[in-house]
Amino acid sequence: MPDFGVPTQTPPKRVDELIGSDLMARLDQVDVMSRKIFAGKLQGERRSKKRGTSVEFADYRHYVHGDDLRFIDWNIYARLDKLFLKMFLEEEDLSLLIAVDVSASMHWGNPSKFIFNQRLAMALGYIGLANHNRVTLYAFNSDGVSPLPNLRGLRRTREMGEWLLRLEPSGGSGFNDAMRAIALSRQGKGVMVILSDFMLKEGYEKGLRYLAGGGFDTFCMQVLSPEEVDPGKHGLAGDLRLTDVEDEDKAEITVSAALLKRYKRNLDTYCGKLREFCVRRGIMHITIDTDTSLDTLLLDYLRKRGLLK
Amino acid sequence: MNWLTPMTGAILAAVLIPPLILLYFLKLRRRPQPIACTLLWKRTIEDLHANAPFQRLRRSLLLFLQLLALLLLVLSVMQPQIQASRPEAGKLVMLIDNSASMTATDVEDAASRLEVAKQRARDRIESIYSGGWLTRSAGETMIVAFSDRAEPTAGFSGSRQELLAAIDRIRPTHGQTEIAEALKLARAHTSNPVDPITGEARPVGDLPRLELFSDGRISDITDQVIWRTADAEDERPFVYHRIGSERPDNVAITAIEAQRPYDRPTTVEVFAALLNHNESSVSCDVQLSVDLTTMAVEEVAIPAATADPDTGALLPGRNNVVFTPFEQPRGAVIEVANLRDDDLAADNIVRAVVPPPRQLTIGLVAPRSFLLRSVLEGMSLKRLELLTAGQYERLAEADGLEAYDVIVFDRYAPPTADLMPPGRYLTFGPAPPVEGLNEYGEGAAQIVLSTRGEHPALRFVNLDQLFIGDCRLLQPADDVQVLAEGTEGPIIVAVSRGAMQIIHVTFDPLDTNWPFLRSFVTFVFNAVDYLGHIGAGVTEQGFEVGEALTTRLPATASNIELTLPDGTVEPLSPGDPSRLSWGPIRLTGIYALSWNEPETDEIRKRFFAVNLPGESEGRLDAAENLAVGQETVAAATGDTWGYTPLWPWAIAFCLAVLMFEWWVYHRKTYV
Repeated sequence: MPDFGVPTQTPPKRVDELIGSDLMARLDQVDVMSRKIFAGKLQGERRSKKRGTSVEFADYRHYVHGDDLRFIDWNIYARLDKLFLKMFLEEEDLSLLIAVDVSASMHWGNPSKFIFNQRLAMALGYIGLANHNRVTLYAFNSDGVSPLPNLRGLRRTREMGEWLLRLEPSGGSGFNDAMRAIALSRQGKGVMVILSDFMLKEGYEKGLRYLAGGGFDTFCMQVLSPEEVDPGKHGLAGDLRLTDVEDEDKAEITVSAALLKRYKRNLDTYCGKLREFCVRRGIMHITIDTDTSLDTLLLDYLRKRGLLK
Repeated sequence: MNWLTPMTGAILAAVLIPPLILLYFLKLRRRPQPIACTLLWKRTIEDLHANAPFQRLRRSLLLFLQLLALLLLVLSVMQPQIQASRPEAGKLVMLIDNSASMTATDVEDAASRLEVAKQRARDRIESIYSGGWLTRSAGETMIVAFSDRAEPTAGFSGSRQELLAAIDRIRPTHGQTEIAEALKLARAHTSNPVDPITGEARPVGDLPRLELFSDGRISDITDQVIWRTADAEDERPFVYHRIGSERPDNVAITAIEAQRPYDRPTTVEVFAALLNHNESSVSCDVQLSVDLTTMAVEEVAIPAATADPDTGALLPGRNNVVFTPFEQPRGAVIEVANLRDDDLAADNIVRAVVPPPRQLTIGLVAPRSFLLRSVLEGMSLKRLELLTAGQYERLAEADGLEAYDVIVFDRYAPPTADLMPPGRYLTFGPAPPVEGLNEYGEGAAQIVLSTRGEHPALRFVNLDQLFIGDCRLLQPADDVQVLAEGTEGPIIVAVSRGAMQIIHVTFDPLDTNWPFLRSFVTFVFNAVDYLGHIGAGVTEQGFEVGEALTTRLPATASNIELTLPDGTVEPLSPGDPSRLSWGPIRLTGIYALSWNEPETDEIRKRFFAVNLPGESEGRLDAAENLAVGQETVAAATGDTWGYTPLWPWAIAFCLAVLMFEWWVYHRKTYV
């Protein structure tokens, strides 16, 4: 019988082990959906509220000194003898930020939360690249934040995959510092996805407040292993001295029905509080079991939850 | 609780328990388990600690249960046994002594011996019927209180409450201690197929065991037999619970006597006898009270009790006290009290009721000389009537002599016995026609040879100087008491024939020199006074505890009430007041009987003094052994409790604990 929670999967070595070609083909049909129309830095496939230079007329406004003379509607000037400026809707690109928790605790469970996150980040990044979105990846732990910024276009897919394959889980999560650093470094607006188990002894509130403050449409994907969701079902029994893989913290337990029942209740409460915190701040919270297949998750579940379309 | 083999258990515990604890700690070495995050687990542990006060215990519940099982096993090896009555299936009779000696206060933490006896009996009932499910008894118990008579306060019953209530109902009495009636009662309850109390039919059972709560001073205990033999080796058919101390302190007043002197009928002289039951001499103050007013206090020294050289029994020291005569022309209630504080208050007071002085009515028949008449006239009489022989005989025929207290025949004898109805007679000369007085001739001169000076009629009468010139010779019967014997035969005799009392002088005083002697007047005084007061006594009739109070009231008396010494008033409604009877008397003291007389519509009162019977209750030292018939029963040492082994219960509990431990273990490992 394998040790409880110890990953038995072989870590992916190549990019195609992160995301198969079949999945890629199916992901070509989906796009990242934002609940808002975002202003982007480059013209993209998104309709922006920002009046701009597209061909689609939006409105008129009075000319003021300094406006581009090219956009004066001379016909109206001829009729009304007044200068009006023509305004057009502008199409912009979408920033997709994916922050992956690479703390040591993520490499735990069967399937491993870390490998699951690698694949999910790869899939989401691929969707972003396929739709000409500006994709930025962050890996964070207590050592700091390691970014892979501003990928655009499918030709950057391999680069993104190799970056993900190079990640090694270690240290604590450093969640709050990481979120602060990401929030300060990101510019403009976009969609941000955080992949973590959110089991944070220091608390998640501070970090999420940084993210909620910006103009990003944020998704918190709480990835939990089956052993965390139902430890009794997966063989946790006996008198144990639990050791935290991040900080070596010890907890002595004697597994009993009452203890497991109480654990599940605490887990539900913890996740519920996280969800409530997120909802209050306009953040979407999604709990994902690593047992879930990526196909089902991406093509069904995340579509229903409004991240993908 | 006792332990038969405590050391074995201790060794076993020392061998088994430490290894178990060691094993348990070894078992508790926890397996290390890496976990992603201990955050939720710590919260869970904290929650459980906060929500389960016995969490620590629960966590080591298995150890606790195993330790408990081991301890129970060790306990069973140590063979514990609790002090409890053996389950008693048969019948038991508790005999509780409530006689006068049980009112003694020589006990600690209780008001009297009776209270101690009742408490012991209550404890016994509790031990039999309150042992719980470990030592429940199925037997039945009967409660009998006894003194001079027995009273069943509870028939055979298995109800603890009923038996305790019956014990509480027992009240002290001042009666003597006699156990025969109580034993008869107990026997009757088992041999009689009909319950004498409830009247219900019941099966005849075995004779009951007896438990006696007493000081052991039972007057008739040697006449009894223990009727039951022991069924089991350790069963005792007769248990004597000894109540009281070995050396109590008691000085008793056992007798009172009140007299009115002949010459001063309005004065009263009081005598009292005191007994010292202690082994050292004592000096005590004795107080005389008349109608609750203290008249005198005398200090009396009483010698110590001494052992009888023959029997070894303790004979109490005795002394008497005589109080100075005092004027009391009317009736009075007299009390003599021992003021010394001792252990028994019941025998410290004796009482007597002195009626008003009674003056006599004398009939002098056929006086032929002034001699007797002048002597009688010198006495303090109510009335002196001179009767001729004819008058007397007519009165005798018409039953008219009851008005006379004493009839004096002066040289006269009725011709037939029919003319001498029951009464008191002083006769001189010819012998009256009474059986036993046979004259057979006349004798010559004679002198007196001997006299019985102790007879009241001859008190202070000196007949040494008497010379009798002529007298009648008398052959008295055996039952005739010769008071003075002359050289020729009896010269003064006393005849007692039931209600007839005669003092007969065989000669005519005029034929002697007696009229010139002082003893003649004294003799006539003594004889008339003696005869006049026979039966009446100086004091009213006294009663003793245990007797029935009987008296004669006018037939028309109504609203008859008896006031007891404790103040309670009992209305009496006798069918015939002239034969009134109430009893048995349970307490000493003054009983006041009041009634109405219709003719005068006046409330009349009569007082009766009730004292302790005899001297036996004054002996207080509790008997160590009881001689019941041929057997000697020693006082129960400690108690009659037995022991009930508890090891089967310990084994049973141990098994139960093991089963529970098995269930807990499997419930834990199931998750």
